[in-house]
Amino acid sequence: MEHFEQLAASIEKGDSANTKALVKHAIGENIPAQDILNNALIVGMNRIGIKFRNNEVFIPEVLVAARAMKAGLELLRPLLGEGSIDMKGKVAIGTVKGDLHDIGKNIVGVMLEGAGYEVVDLGTDVSKEAFLEAAQNTKAKIIGLSALLTTTMPYMNEIIDTLKEADLRDKIKVIIGGAPVTQTFADEIGADGYAPDAASAVDLVESLA
Amino acid sequence: MGKELLFAVFRNKIPERTPWVPFAGVHAGKLKGYLTQEILTDGDKLLESLLEVNRVYSPDGQPVMFDLQLEAEILGCDLIWDKKAPPSVVSHPLAKTRNIELSIPGPDDGRLPIILDVMRNLKERVGNTTALFGLICGPLTLASHLRGTEFFLDLMKDQSFVANLVEFCREVNKNIATYYIEAGMDVIAVVDPVVSLISPKHFEQFLSEAYTEIFAHIRKTDRFSSFFVCGDATKNIELMCRTKPDSIFVDENIDMVQAKMITDAYQITIGGNLPLTTVMLLGTQMDNMKSAVDLMDKMGRQRYVLAPGCDMPYDVPEENVIGIIQAVRDFEHTKAMLQNYTRENFDIPVDLPDYGNLFRPLVEIFTLDSATCPACGYMKKAVDEAQEHFGKKIDTVEYKLTLPENIARAKKMNIQHVPVILINGDIKYSSYLPSRNDLFKEIEGHI
Repeated sequence: MEHFEQLAASIEKGDSANTKALVKHAIGENIPAQDILNNALIVGMNRIGIKFRNNEVFIPEVLVAARAMKAGLELLRPLLGEGSIDMKGKVAIGTVKGDLHDIGKNIVGVMLEGAGYEVVDLGTDVSKEAFLEAAQNTKAKIIGLSALLTTTMPYMNEIIDTLKEADLRDKIKVIIGGAPVTQTFADEIGADGYAPDAASAVDLVESLA
Repeated sequence: MGKELLFAVFRNKIPERTPWVPFAGVHAGKLKGYLTQEILTDGDKLLESLLEVNRVYSPDGQPVMFDLQLEAEILGCDLIWDKKAPPSVVSHPLAKTRNIELSIPGPDDGRLPIILDVMRNLKERVGNTTALFGLICGPLTLASHLRGTEFFLDLMKDQSFVANLVEFCREVNKNIATYYIEAGMDVIAVVDPVVSLISPKHFEQFLSEAYTEIFAHIRKTDRFSSFFVCGDATKNIELMCRTKPDSIFVDENIDMVQAKMITDAYQITIGGNLPLTTVMLLGTQMDNMKSAVDLMDKMGRQRYVLAPGCDMPYDVPEENVIGIIQAVRDFEHTKAMLQNYTRENFDIPVDLPDYGNLFRPLVEIFTLDSATCPACGYMKKAVDEAQEHFGKKIDTVEYKLTLPENIARAKKMNIQHVPVILINGDIKYSSYLPSRNDLFKEIEGHI
C-alpha cells in the first residue's frame, strides 16, 4: 500500500516528524495498528538492517531510523493495548558487570526491536543476579550479553554459570557480542551464539527464537 | 638503532628488518605490578613501567600513555576507573547543550603535567634508541566523549553543531600535539576508534579537512604522524590516506593485504593487526610467533610496522610478547622453528637427565635464542652469573628452541613458555627474571 511504502521510507530516512504525521494519517484512515507496525515500521527498520549489514549505512543512520521507529510506535501503542502487541518474542540484553560501554548493545536493541522483538534493556554494568532475575521474571527466552573490555569479557562465563545453577540454562538461550568477543570464546564458555555485529545479531536471534 | 628502522619505514625505505611497536598501555603496569589507575595517574609508576617495557620488549617504538580519556577528563567528562582497563567516560559536558563553551586544555591542566614530565624523562632515558609515540584522542572520539551517544544523531540532524564541535576538537588535538612534540615525542598518533562507525560520506564531510590540518601541523614540526583506528574501518582507509598521515595503524578486523594495497598507493606505512584477544591474550607463545611471522611474511618489509591491533590487554602473558619479539629479531629461524614445531610425527628421541640422582644441582634454561631474544638474554645472563658464582658446585645448560631436538626436549618436559629456568627438572622462573639474590638462594637450597 502507498501509505505503508511512504511510512517505511520515512523510517529509513530517519524522519521522525514525517513518520509521526504518516502514522497519524494511517490511524485516521482506520488502518489497524498491527498492520501499520508489521507492514511499514518493521519493514523500514528491516531495510535499514540490510543496508547496515551491506555497509551501505552506518551507526548514525541506524540510530535516526530507530528514533523515527520509536516515534511511530509510541502513537500505535495505545491502540495496540498494553502488552498486546504481537511481537515475535522477548530478548533481554545488557552490558556485563564492570563495563559501561553501551553503543553496541543499544544498536543491537534497536535492530531487534526493528525486527519485531520486544527488548528488555537491562542497561550497563549488569550483574549476574540481574541477568538471572531477567531470565526468571521477564519471560525472555534469549539473553544477550555485551562487553567491550577484555577484562569484563570473562564475566559472561559467570552469568552462564549462574543460569546453570538456577536450572535455567536449558530454557534460556545466551548470545554474546562485543569488540573483544569471538566465536571461539563463545564456544569456550558454552554460549548459544555469537554475532560480530548488530545485523548478524538479529539473524542469530531469528535462528534461535 | 630501533627507532631508525621505524623512521626508515616511514620514509619509504626498506629496513633491514620489520620494525616493532608494542602498544603496551595498561599492560605496561602489569610488568611492574601496578594497576591501571596507578600508572595513568602517577608519573613515577608510569615511567618505571615504561622503562620495563623498553627493557623487556626491546621496542623500536613505544607509546607513552594510552588513555583516550585524558583530554575528555580535562574538558569536564567524569571517568570511572577499572583495575586492568583504561577508564571509561560516564558523563558528557555537552549532553544537554549545544553551546561549546569549553577552553582548549593548557599544558598544566588535568593529568597533562604528569604525562609531559614522563615524556621528557623517557626521552632522556631511552629516546636515543626508541621512537616515542605521543597518543592523542582523535576529533571524532573526543566529540562523542563530550556529547555522548547523542552525537551520532547530531551527525544526521545538526550538522553545523557537528562541524563546530569537530573544529573545536581539532584545535584541542593541534595544541596537545604541540605539547607532546615539545616534550620530545617522535611520532604523534591521533587515535580515533569511532571512525569505524561512520560512513565515508560523513568522514569526508566532517573529518577530512580536520585531519589534513592536524597532520600538516605535525609535519611542520618535522615529526612523524600516525592515524590509529579500531574496528572494521576498511571503507574509510582511502579517505584516511588522503589526509596525509605518515602511517596508519589498524586492528585485527582489517584485511591487511587489501588495506596495504590502498596505503601503498599513497606511499603511507601501515601497521598493527596482531589479534589482541584471540592471540595475544589467550593464545600460546607459539600462536603469537606464528601470527607475527605470518603477518611479516605477507606484508613484506616495505611500509609495514608490526604492532598489536590496539592497546594490549592488561593480562597479555609476557612470554607471548617475547615470542613476537623473537619473530621480529630472527624472522627466518623463527619461521623454520615453527615449521619444526608443527611438523607431524615430530619424534626425536631425547634422554632426560635422572633428576632424582644428580651429582650436583642442574640449572637448565630454555630460550627462544638468547643471542637474539632480549628477554632470553637477560635470563641466560642470570644463569651465567650463577655458574660463575657457584663454579663447579652446579651444572648449567642452555637449550635454544632453534634446534628441533631442543623443541622435542621442551615438549617432553611439558614446557609451554620460554624463557624458563628449571632447577633439577622443576620449573622455577617462567618468563620472569629473578633477582641475583633470589636465584642464588634458590640454587643454594639445592646444594
